[in-house]
Amino acid sequence: MSFIKRAGLYCLRQRFKTVILFLVLTLIATFMLTGIAIRDAAKGAIADVQTAIGGKMMLDIDMDGHMGGGQQNEWGMAYTYNGDLITEEIVDAIEKVDGVVDYNVEETEGYYGAGVNFKYLPVALGLSYTQYGEASSYTATLSSEKCKAFQSGKYKLVEGRHITSDDKYTCLISKELADYNKLSVGDTIKMYSLDSDAISEFEIVGIFDGTEGVSGNALTVDEIPANCGYVDYAGVQDIFKDIDDENGYQQLTIYVEDPVSIQNVYDKISALPELKGKTLKLTIDTDEYDAVSRPLESLQKLVNTTIIIISVVSVVILTLLLTIWIRGRKKEIGILLSIGKSKANIILQIFTETFVVAVISFAASIPFSFSVAEKAGEFLVSRVGTGTANLNMQIDATYLLPLYMIGILLIAVAVIASSWTVVCRKPKDILTKMN
Amino acid sequence: MSIVKICNVKYSYNGNRTVLKNICTEFDMGKIYAILGPSGCGKTTLLSLLGGLDSPSDGQVLFQGEDIEKRGLAWHRKNNVAFIFQSYNLIEYMTPAENVALTSKLPPLPILERLGLTKEEAKRNVLKLSGGQQQRVAIARALASDAGVILADEPTGNLDEDTAVEITNILKECAHEMNKCVIIVTHSNDLAKQADVILCLKKGELQKL
Repeated sequence: MSFIKRAGLYCLRQRFKTVILFLVLTLIATFMLTGIAIRDAAKGAIADVQTAIGGKMMLDIDMDGHMGGGQQNEWGMAYTYNGDLITEEIVDAIEKVDGVVDYNVEETEGYYGAGVNFKYLPVALGLSYTQYGEASSYTATLSSEKCKAFQSGKYKLVEGRHITSDDKYTCLISKELADYNKLSVGDTIKMYSLDSDAISEFEIVGIFDGTEGVSGNALTVDEIPANCGYVDYAGVQDIFKDIDDENGYQQLTIYVEDPVSIQNVYDKISALPELKGKTLKLTIDTDEYDAVSRPLESLQKLVNTTIIIISVVSVVILTLLLTIWIRGRKKEIGILLSIGKSKANIILQIFTETFVVAVISFAASIPFSFSVAEKAGEFLVSRVGTGTANLNMQIDATYLLPLYMIGILLIAVAVIASSWTVVCRKPKDILTKMN
Repeated sequence: MSIVKICNVKYSYNGNRTVLKNICTEFDMGKIYAILGPSGCGKTTLLSLLGGLDSPSDGQVLFQGEDIEKRGLAWHRKNNVAFIFQSYNLIEYMTPAENVALTSKLPPLPILERLGLTKEEAKRNVLKLSGGQQQRVAIARALASDAGVILADEPTGNLDEDTAVEITNILKECAHEMNKCVIIVTHSNDLAKQADVILCLKKGELQKL
């Protein structure tokens, strides 16, 4: 009789033990599947974050040592940057680098404007250094959608659309400022710039939310976030075309397809001849990606550790259970040895008995695991805090392969550990003691 | 020609108490051998050495002229010898037919029927059989293995007088009609009287009576 048939007979005839083994293995498999599912969900979430956020690099003007000697004016010493700007030629060269998917300009305080036909939310000091009152700062950008505040979710467009690179003399204002002045999308605001000494008209193309409750005890109008907005870069360039000798950006955000390969793209951009000798500095910015992916990586590590702990505990529990049962099967082992069955043959029988039950247990654990994984995933996410990333928990038949592989290994270890001491005894000793 | 031969076999427990001293003897096909001796004299140990359940401290056990250690004791137990124990040693979760099938690929029913078990009894759990029936199953298992040597340790020790006689007759039949070498360890003089050769183990030495 083969060990497979003996194993089958044992499972059928020793039903109570088989049921207990089934329950224990189902429990182990449920924990194991839950761990694997959470780990994979975290892995998937990291991949999603990679796709959604991508990587970023910043090309900025290097002001260190390039701010000139300074000139005295009515306000004090004024310093002007006399280094290189980011020209269209440089932007074109960067755009062609393999791995670069997009770019943006986000010059905070790129434009200061005082309200001509509208009023800013009031502040304590109420300075009035222009004839139209105090000026507030605006971020000059090619694409407001890609600006930090919108990417991080701090600001949200609630009306209209974002500023794009095709726009000229358009702006985004906060909902608070719009409500304060009864402004809406399509209206035009007029602003006076002290730097250009000119009034410019901007069409409101969008209104954003997210500035509420952060006014604090502001002294100047631009200390209230609701007073600050976004204007398109083309308009700003047009306003200052007569003042600036050179045309170019002070800052460029470069978007990379995959944050993992950002260093490679960085090296390629650094080596561009258009950047050689220029007073510009290139830096990698993975803050956004790191902020979202780090908690997920921590979660992955936590789950990996949990899987290892579950594996070890499972082996221990299974070994203890099998050891107890094998002690009760000494006589059977002695008989099998006395009729010439090899040690390997006997161990294989015990392994098969456990494995047959495991095959059914592991398959049965899938539906249990799904609900357990969802609950455990929610709990872990709440503990670790994965920010905006979500865990998409999925457990299906494809999970059976890794489960069976790990399961076979655990069962093999448990069976060998529990049966070795009995199987290795002389059959005479076993039978003499039994008799 | 002898099928089993033991040469200068010594056995001592943990190197201290010697139970077998330089034993040399031969066992032939077609004969029943009875080994008698007081309790603890080493009868079962001698049977274990013949069956490859244990190894001698010194000396050799030869099967058809070859040292049984050469091919391995498990191989010897599987191919050359079959055991019948006083306590039957059947696997409890199996039926008589399944117990017999452990040692043979042939259908177990004919041999069980030949030893007096019905078809129905052959399919029952072994624990639901009487002692005599269980010993018949053990004998059937030994015979099914087609081993040349049957080693029986007190085969009638747990049986009533009538059943013991029946089992003794079956063992005689094994030796004389099936040409097996049957070696029985026993306390029973009645059983020993049925043997062709009686050996007595005393103070570690084996003597032919």
